[in-house]
Amino acid sequence: MVGMSAAILQGVPATTTDTDIWVDLPERQYVRLMDLVIRQGGTPMARTLYGLSDGSVVNFIFSMTGLKKFPDEYAKAVELMWNGLKVRVLPLARIYKSKHDSAREKDLAHLPLLRRVMRGQARTKPGSRE
Amino acid sequence: MKTTSLKDWPKVYRRLKGMRGMSEEERILLARSLAATPDERWNIHETFLRSHGLFSHWQRKAYGFKW
Repeated sequence: MVGMSAAILQGVPATTTDTDIWVDLPERQYVRLMDLVIRQGGTPMARTLYGLSDGSVVNFIFSMTGLKKFPDEYAKAVELMWNGLKVRVLPLARIYKSKHDSAREKDLAHLPLLRRVMRGQARTKPGSRE
Repeated sequence: MKTTSLKDWPKVYRRLKGMRGMSEEERILLARSLAATPDERWNIHETFLRSHGLFSHWQRKAYGFKW
């Protein structure tokens, strides 16, 4: 998981209306993802954006601005439990880098909040000074 | 700090006390968010969207959002 959903799971007090999932597939193979979602009751909204049967929205991402290739980032992803599943999320520092480099207005708006949470995380890590 | 959950936020808050540029209220909200488990964090997020009738894409569409 990448984007603000991944940030929320790591403690960023924010909200988002879709879950970004970075997939290690060439974009021309998006039909494979579409089939998978439709088989589970989802509805295509755009080529990479799907409404799921519970009303949530998933956006498949095929490349991330400012980051290394998928295998490099995946190897350093944070593993956490969510809804009874082990999921890998992009670390906050990498989410920050991607948003910074993409420089879209909505991404730049998140940077101060991400910085603040990273500062807070650093203080609550084992061995940090109280 | 060991794994925490939402109820442990006062412990996390104590560690954030010296953080500059934030009001006490902001520090408390950050402490709650950092203390929570991923599931608790997601529930807070979902509850917020639901409370505004904005959780599902069809609700958001009715509200005027594109998705």
